[in-house]
Amino acid sequence: MSGRRIMIVEDEALVAMMVEDLLTDLGCEVSGSFGAVGEALAYLDDGKSSLDGAVLDINIGGEMVFPVAEALRAKGVPFVFATGYGALPRKGFEDVTVLSKPINFGHLRDAVHGFGQAA
Amino acid sequence: MLDMAEHDLSDGEDDSALLTLVETIEELSATRTIDEVAAVVRSSARRISGADGVAFVLRDNDCCWYLDEDAIGPLWKGKRFPLTACISGWSMLNRQTVVIPDIYQDDRIPHDAYRPTFVKSLVMTPVRTRDPIAALGAYWAKEHTPPPEIVAKLQVMARATAAALESGRLHASLNKELERRTFLMRELDHRVKNTLASVQSIASQTLRTAASPQAFNESFESRLLALSQAHELLTKQAWGKAHLREILAAAMRPFGGLEDGRFVVEGPPIEITPEAAVAVHMTLHELIVNAAKYGALSVPTGSVSVAWRIEDAGGLHPTFALEWRERGGPPVAPPEPKDEGFGSRLIRRGLSRDLGGAAVLDFAPEGLTFTFRAPLSQRLAAA
Repeated sequence: MSGRRIMIVEDEALVAMMVEDLLTDLGCEVSGSFGAVGEALAYLDDGKSSLDGAVLDINIGGEMVFPVAEALRAKGVPFVFATGYGALPRKGFEDVTVLSKPINFGHLRDAVHGFGQAA
Repeated sequence: MLDMAEHDLSDGEDDSALLTLVETIEELSATRTIDEVAAVVRSSARRISGADGVAFVLRDNDCCWYLDEDAIGPLWKGKRFPLTACISGWSMLNRQTVVIPDIYQDDRIPHDAYRPTFVKSLVMTPVRTRDPIAALGAYWAKEHTPPPEIVAKLQVMARATAAALESGRLHASLNKELERRTFLMRELDHRVKNTLASVQSIASQTLRTAASPQAFNESFESRLLALSQAHELLTKQAWGKAHLREILAAAMRPFGGLEDGRFVVEGPPIEITPEAAVAVHMTLHELIVNAAKYGALSVPTGSVSVAWRIEDAGGLHPTFALEWRERGGPPVAPPEPKDEGFGSRLIRRGLSRDLGGAAVLDFAPEGLTFTFRAPLSQRLAAA
């Protein structure tokens, strides 16, 4: 899993910092950590990013993260959701893995491992 | 014997009419919408009154709205008339039942509207007498005075209709309340889980740099309390926006509060959304703890000034600029990068991440200075 480039979209800095730590512990490289949907989209639009995966919170300060998920899907980049919502409508994304919050390190590791297989 | 037989027969008729009325009341009590009420009234009112036609009229502001009817010939279904220009309006405005044996002898009747119809006599009774919301009309093709028991039955039906409309309204508001509760429970679940994730983050990051279990415990507890204060402040605002000055006051409280003479705060009112307020609170907490442990607040002669302003206010790019300046403390030395803990990481990155700005920590020997600049946004705005 070493060297994989992972993007994070998470509106709470505290939580984002932990996810960054966990990914770094897994040997991944955090390639962009964003607190707003627009910033993440701008990063993806830039075209310079080469991502191996992404961890997306669903509700980003009241905005839904789905446009980012669609952009990632269009690029063929695998991703997982990390959310505190027990059951959230995810029309079109029913097959995407959901990590619940608080985040279980083992589940995150499995998800990152899954990115490798998909790539 | 004959008398008895006649008596039995009329009793039987009464019983069957009474049963129809009771059944209608039961049907009305099971309705949930105005259309369902109208359907019951249409199917039963004529049977109960023995009239040649019935109409169910709703009050729609200043109009009578002939919602539905069941009659031997067409009446006014779907039409609206001013309250003052029809007998259903008169009945609703005067809150009383009206019996008209010959409509063409009564000035309250708009004769032109009746001429195309079969109607010669009528009974009109308001629904919900104290404040009518509808009316029930029964019409006959002959001139006659409808018997009092027919009028009474129509009035009973009107009362049952009023109760049905009220209960439908109650049902709708109850449903709305239940939906709201479900929504709130889901939001609560979401917030609790996010908060637990924040606690998880604080714990794991505090652990990474803690020198000993005691040091971990001290820092973790202090951060947990700061998080708790941040939440208390948000709850007080009903999870609405928080004022920067209030956040600062809450974060400062465990260290003597803003009244402590060593603390100078200055700036215009600034509002911060709940999502960002937690990070602002935690960042200020880390700055204060650092100042109390190693900086200007660790000695009686030190002071901290926190000043903020809006630059280019009203311009194209209004910017929020904050400066935290410590003076009079012990000489400051920048920490080794490997020692960078949760605090300085949060101070450097937390705010800029959540508010889309830039944070700079300057470890000048005469005192630490923290500057933060961010564009005004939906998350951070002048109050």
